[in-house]
Amino acid sequence: MLRVLLLLPTTTYRTEAFLTAARQLGVDVTVASEEPSTLADLNPAGFLTVSFNKPEEATSIIAEFARSYPIHAVIPVDEQTAIVAAMVAASLKLRHNSVESALAAGNKYQMRELLSRAGVRVPGYRLLSLSDDAAAVARGLRYPCVVKPLILSASRGVIRADTREQFVQAFRRVAAILSAPEIESKGTSARQVLVEDFIPGKEVALEGLLSQGKLRVLALFDKPDPLDGPFFEETIYVTPSILRADIQTKVIDCTARTAEALGLTEGPVHAELRVNQMEPCVLEIAARSIGGRCARALRFGTGVSLEELILRHALGMSVADMKREKRASGVMMIPIPKRGVLAQVEGLSEARNIPGIDEISITAHVGQTLIPLPEGNQYLGFIFARGNDPHAVVASLRNAHLKLRFDIAGSTAKMSGD
Amino acid sequence: MDNETKITAEFDKENSEVCKFTVDRPVYAGKIDIRNREQAKGIPLAEKLFQIEDVAEVSVYGAVVVVTRGVGKDWKEIGKHVGAVIRDYIQAGMAPTEEQMRASLPDQSVIRDKVLELLEMQINPGIAGHGGYVELIDVRDNSAYIRMSGGCQGCGMADVTLKQGIERLIREEVPEVWEVFDTTDHAAGKNPYYEPAK
Repeated sequence: MLRVLLLLPTTTYRTEAFLTAARQLGVDVTVASEEPSTLADLNPAGFLTVSFNKPEEATSIIAEFARSYPIHAVIPVDEQTAIVAAMVAASLKLRHNSVESALAAGNKYQMRELLSRAGVRVPGYRLLSLSDDAAAVARGLRYPCVVKPLILSASRGVIRADTREQFVQAFRRVAAILSAPEIESKGTSARQVLVEDFIPGKEVALEGLLSQGKLRVLALFDKPDPLDGPFFEETIYVTPSILRADIQTKVIDCTARTAEALGLTEGPVHAELRVNQMEPCVLEIAARSIGGRCARALRFGTGVSLEELILRHALGMSVADMKREKRASGVMMIPIPKRGVLAQVEGLSEARNIPGIDEISITAHVGQTLIPLPEGNQYLGFIFARGNDPHAVVASLRNAHLKLRFDIAGSTAKMSGD
Repeated sequence: MDNETKITAEFDKENSEVCKFTVDRPVYAGKIDIRNREQAKGIPLAEKLFQIEDVAEVSVYGAVVVVTRGVGKDWKEIGKHVGAVIRDYIQAGMAPTEEQMRASLPDQSVIRDKVLELLEMQINPGIAGHGGYVELIDVRDNSAYIRMSGGCQGCGMADVTLKQGIERLIREEVPEVWEVFDTTDHAAGKNPYYEPAK
């Protein structure tokens, strides 16, 4: 029987979706996490403990494991596990991205270097070390600019600065975020930041699947809420895109050239681009699928999930005839409006009754300490909607969001964008 | 009994390699999951089904025959052969009698006790390390319903614990249980061991 290795950090939202997909396919599963399972002894083939911060060591452990339990595919869920997955795949001779390409996609500076050389449009950028003199650096920058950590994702630590003073403040704030022990332990890249030009315009996200270097577009998402800073909190993703067809073509071409420039050839990619009157500008591309629970917004064929599509591709099964459903679909990542402790969630029933709403999943729990961006990396939950067109989907998501009330640290914050 | 055996085929919507054949009468007393020809030996219906080219796996319970085909093979041909094998098997008088079927039905209280013992002796002592606890809510037919609490409730790895640990162990140790359903309200968990974050 085929066996798939899922590289699942203990904090990922993706666990249920990938395990369900594996079950649908009837394949055996081994879950590798950075912390041991309490039931590992009861199912030795089912669990592995590896440090994702030490990819060489993790690869060695997995290769040894594979001698007893042959592995036919390895699936990462984030940038860090994407590097481990590439190393494991190289070791086990599985179809996957090269280690070099995974490393490049996981490092914003290296990515920009390669893309610039390949003629792909990226924001003007400069690499800084946390030991640099922020005030001195500030004098030589163009404004507005954006400060972003080299290795974090989901907009964590990303701050816009319009002036020298704002840059110095942003630099110090990012340095404080990177000083957290769990981040500091990730090596040199965790002590570096990128400062780049702020690119005005609309932002889109492209979900794709690479096969032998050829990009297949699974979905192109619009992000209808402006992302102009000072923080870059992502809220709504909706597909299909309402951008003009010629602009969509440019976005797709740009993403394909981006993947090619980095050497990515196999598996899912998630790209973020800015679109304005100029050529599309690549902000990021990751050798993984869309994060959080957002993948639930995508269904293929007769109801196949994105996770199953990824597993099928990795196992060499056919996915060519699986097209995304025709209906418009969207997700709202419910932002954390302020720091505090979640005391209560109200309005769920009303929100779920809004026409078009498929599902509302509150992932924060009562009693949880909530930390908004740029320091935090969580959401309150996810709202999913489907409809006849993207406008209707966005309206459903916003209306449902308005019905939700989150009591944080004793004071009720109505989620109406206040 | 009418000699004409009616069989309906239903493709698995989520997995095109799997097809469920429901027969109008029981064909097996109990449940068998056969993954290869070697395992099929000594089980006449399974032996015959594995003689069909491209059949990869077979599960039979009561009046249901679930066949998994090799990747990308043609269901039309396989389906015809599966139907023929089942009909031949019934016409040969090899299907179980009603008495045999009744005798094969599991005693719910016995299953319940087995699952309870497993939870208390093996599973709960393990997950207690993360402040978790699993209780058995009910056993109905061949399904067990459980609820997680403490560190498991709302935990980012609760599904791993359930599917890779609890469910697997229950199905191995108590084969009368075919499915385990988690009834936990994970959104109400107040102290999950791992908080999902990205």
